[in-house]
Amino acid sequence: MRWLDSLAEGSARSLAKRTSRRSVIGYLGALLVGASGVPILPVTRGATPPAPAKPDDKSKHVNDPTSCDYWRHCAIDGYLCGCCGGSENTCPPGTEMSAVTWVGTCHNPIDGKDYVVSYNDCCGKATCGRCLCNRNERDTPLYVPFQSNDYNWCSGSAKANIPYHCSTARIVSVAR
Amino acid sequence: MGNRYRIDLRKCVHRVWRLVHLRREAKGGVLACLLALLGTAAAAAPPLPNDPAGRVQAVPQPTPPHWIWVNDFVFPHMVSGKAMLVDGDAGRFMGELDTGFGSVRVVPSADGRIIYSPETYFSRGTRGERTDVVTLYDPAHLSVLGEIVIPPKRSSNMPMMSNAQLTDDGRFLLIYNFTPAQSITVVDTQARKFVGEVESAGCALVYPTGPRSFFSICADGAVLHTLLDDTGHAKNSSRTQPLFDVAHDPVTEKGVRAGDTWYFVSFGGTMYPVRIEQGNLKLQKTWSLLSTTDNAAGWRPGGLQQLAVHTGLKRLYSIMHQGPLATHKDPGREVWVFDLERQARTQTIQLKNNSGSIQVSPDAHPVLFSIFIESNVLDVYDATSGQFLRSVNDIGTTPTVLVNP
Repeated sequence: MRWLDSLAEGSARSLAKRTSRRSVIGYLGALLVGASGVPILPVTRGATPPAPAKPDDKSKHVNDPTSCDYWRHCAIDGYLCGCCGGSENTCPPGTEMSAVTWVGTCHNPIDGKDYVVSYNDCCGKATCGRCLCNRNERDTPLYVPFQSNDYNWCSGSAKANIPYHCSTARIVSVAR
Repeated sequence: MGNRYRIDLRKCVHRVWRLVHLRREAKGGVLACLLALLGTAAAAAPPLPNDPAGRVQAVPQPTPPHWIWVNDFVFPHMVSGKAMLVDGDAGRFMGELDTGFGSVRVVPSADGRIIYSPETYFSRGTRGERTDVVTLYDPAHLSVLGEIVIPPKRSSNMPMMSNAQLTDDGRFLLIYNFTPAQSITVVDTQARKFVGEVESAGCALVYPTGPRSFFSICADGAVLHTLLDDTGHAKNSSRTQPLFDVAHDPVTEKGVRAGDTWYFVSFGGTMYPVRIEQGNLKLQKTWSLLSTTDNAAGWRPGGLQQLAVHTGLKRLYSIMHQGPLATHKDPGREVWVFDLERQARTQTIQLKNNSGSIQVSPDAHPVLFSIFIESNVLDVYDATSGQFLRSVNDIGTTPTVLVNP
């Protein structure tokens, strides 16, 4: 049931953030004109679920890039690069960061600000296989690519091509 | 030792004779004697013959209807995609195909005589030159018959049935490309040649509508209907007005087809039937999988391959769970069965395990297959009564879509 607990928790977070992220994404979508993307291959949420969050232990996860509960991971889908030799904003050695990404807007509970987060994939090596995280907040079907987390965004990597390794969560701007 | 053994056997025969004819138990009992006699018989039997070398099993043809292809893109080791063949009646793993990097699914021909598989390979494992091919497999021996090289553009995404489809007459194989530019690769299965690409900018995936036509779903909820000529090149294409409400309650891309109608369900459980009428696509009246009570209780459809349909019985199967709208990929513990003519739920099947993918066999006494990407247990149910029949363990790593042979 931990699995279900984490599901419910993630979903609640998703609903709470939906409004602000939708508006920001719409704005970004206009800017990116189709070059935008989604991060990664999705597997249903919960393969490596975050510990069921309790009110008194959220701070433990909120700033941990190896946790699915990390605030930047609000729309990520894939293996966390922080668990794979990289970090939340760098790729592991020998991989290549994808140029196209899916962006989300996540709330940082520490400073109270919303940030636009770009989920660049790291490409060119076999799947890392550590810290799988999938939060389907605002995810859309494949026919809306720039909002779908079901694509392998290494597809946009000219050099490394589609071998997917892990996903980052780079801050690209303050949302407001 | 041998002498004493012969004496013991004579005594044993005598004891058994006394028991049978005089109904009197002899000293020493008969049970030990019977065992000794049996042992003697076994010792006297000829030894097992030597096994012949090099024997390989074959798949009965046509492949029985209760067998199923379980596709697996092996997410932790994507270079090793595969499709596994399971006998749903016997509950046995019967063989597999190795389908390369990030494979989506195998596509058996309608007559079951060949299996097509869009595949991707790199010359050095995960690096080097990328080659995309359609591999042709012999379904009787699961061996490679040949391959057709296609542009290295095949979409790498969560596997969907609509990644690759055959036209209704089986002549052309259509494969969705994403680089992230969108297009459709057309392969002539008769000539076994790559024909060309059909542009589908802004529209994704493949849904056949006839021997020379298919549609793709566009980002605004419209569909792009493409007609092919007899050589497989695009003859005409037309784009409908938006059929689906992408902004508020999008349909999933996991539609199923029964006869001349494609059925797409929205995140919120609204069914959108799209009917092929004289070569045109017409959205039929929508209906909901959910009653008011179901809605209030938070029931939703969800999963990776969340719908299945039995055309003959006109029954539609949907994986259901309780959760908010953002849970459209979550697995469920129930399958709801709908009568497509009445557009009403007629049955609820309680599942033994979480389910993210279902498929129903096409025969008159169908079985329902169920699996979940985070498990590797294939469950089999009677698709009519809903009765659980059996589980088959250890089927792959991250099983995705289920394909009838």
